Amino acid sequence: MENEPPNPTQEEALDSDPALQKKHQSMLDRLTHRHQSRLDTTLTRRAAADSSDPSPSFESTSAFLSRFSTSKSSVDSQLDQCRLTDPAHLKPHLDQISASISDLEKLVAENSYFLPSYEVRSSLKTISDLRQTLENLSAELLPKKKFSFRNKGAKKTEPKEKENEKEPEKMEFIVPASPGIWNKKGETLVRKFQCSEVGEFTISDLDSCEVRLMGSVRALFVHRLRNCRVYTGPVTGSVLIEGVEECVFVMASHQIRIHNAKRCDFYLRVRSRPIIEDSCGVRFAPYCLSYNGIEEELRETSLDEETENWANVDDFLWLRAVQSPNWSVLPENERVGLIDISSSQES
Amino acid sequence: MGLLSIIRKIKRKEKEIRILMVGLDNSGKTTIVLRINGEDTSVVSPTLGFNIKTLTYQKYTLNIWDVGGQKTIRSYWRNYFEQTDGLVWVVDSSDLRRLDDCKMELDNLLKEERLSGSSLLILANKQDIKGALTPQEIAKVLNLEAMDKTRHWNIVGCSAYTGEGLLKGFDWLVQDIASRIYVLD
Repeated sequence: MENEPPNPTQEEALDSDPALQKKHQSMLDRLTHRHQSRLDTTLTRRAAADSSDPSPSFESTSAFLSRFSTSKSSVDSQLDQCRLTDPAHLKPHLDQISASISDLEKLVAENSYFLPSYEVRSSLKTISDLRQTLENLSAELLPKKKFSFRNKGAKKTEPKEKENEKEPEKMEFIVPASPGIWNKKGETLVRKFQCSEVGEFTISDLDSCEVRLMGSVRALFVHRLRNCRVYTGPVTGSVLIEGVEECVFVMASHQIRIHNAKRCDFYLRVRSRPIIEDSCGVRFAPYCLSYNGIEEELRETSLDEETENWANVDDFLWLRAVQSPNWSVLPENERVGLIDISSSQES
Repeated sequence: MGLLSIIRKIKRKEKEIRILMVGLDNSGKTTIVLRINGEDTSVVSPTLGFNIKTLTYQKYTLNIWDVGGQKTIRSYWRNYFEQTDGLVWVVDSSDLRRLDDCKMELDNLLKEERLSGSSLLILANKQDIKGALTPQEIAKVLNLEAMDKTRHWNIVGCSAYTGEGLLKGFDWLVQDIASRIYVLD
């Protein structure tokens, strides 16, 4: 204000300044109004308490407790109904229960200022129990469908459930069937691969068979063979052999892992060190396979060079410096000569 | 919490991240490490024991522990759990037969308390091989969605043979770990 005195005290200002005076008055009005409304709510609350509970005490603990227990039992019965509710309406039903529990919580909060602390604690405990029950229920009832569905999907892929010849059930979930040879007895099986046509190839569950693979593959899995002879061209990735007995393998690969082999002979060309695990009576010798075009295939896959690694076998169950008793070099006079499979017809 | 904050402080100073690579044998762990380090991958023997590679990645120093996956040495994995910031689980996406083995070993690993705070990167390796499962299919088979909610995890398809996807995976892993440990930067 322009014509304000230089150092006015507050009263002077109030008296002299009409604007400030007006503000002061309105503040007083507001205060009285608030006081009045507070009185009103107290009255109504007392009336409510009186009507629901005959006890004369104002803001009584017992009135609160009876209201609390009524609401709680209604929530309880709603929770019980959950199991009978139509699944389609389950979600809204659960939401409603959740809202009721929130109301209950509000009730406790509103009344907490006069309740004994024990009552506050025990009612809060009741509420958290209710919430827990609701959570358990919704976890049990709602997403369960999704869960069991997912489990089914996963189970399908478990190859453990292989029964005799019917195993492609796991493949239903996965890509068609992976290329391979399964469940044969006493047959000669020949496959010729054009370059880069085949990724991984599986040879599994064969008894007394001869397998001839010509051309290169990326990865080879060999599983459960008895009394078989397996001749393969270059494998550019790795070969994984598991559970073989009384077999002869002639293979070229970048990596070879042999698990659970008993009394088998391996004629290998391998760029890294072959390893054996849980095996015994296995013998090693250099690669000795021939068919039309094998030289070129070996060159293309960097397997043309004799690395002598066929004799550098690591036995994972024999970490001492002395020679492992589980494997040996096949004596030269017991080795098969060069094996030529050029004339094989694809079966 | 006292010890944890000391460890954090030390790590913050050195900007060091410890990564543990595990997975079944033949999944390609060593080849992946050699590939991201720019080394020759044409001759890789199955790992008898473990390899350690220290390399600089962005502004961090990664200590990568590549531990052999053969069955007989899997029981030694636990010797490497201490102070692991990042866990890399490598899957051979073309090895359909052993996927249940793979799931079982991963489940066992994730039960380990000492690994509970580490970020988990799952590399669905060998995507270049025809017939390999996609990362989505691998995630389904391993039931990754059911994993503990507090675990930071991600699955990335990759090929150690071509190098594809490796940077994407390690970028995520390093970022995730860095944002956890070096939040104050």
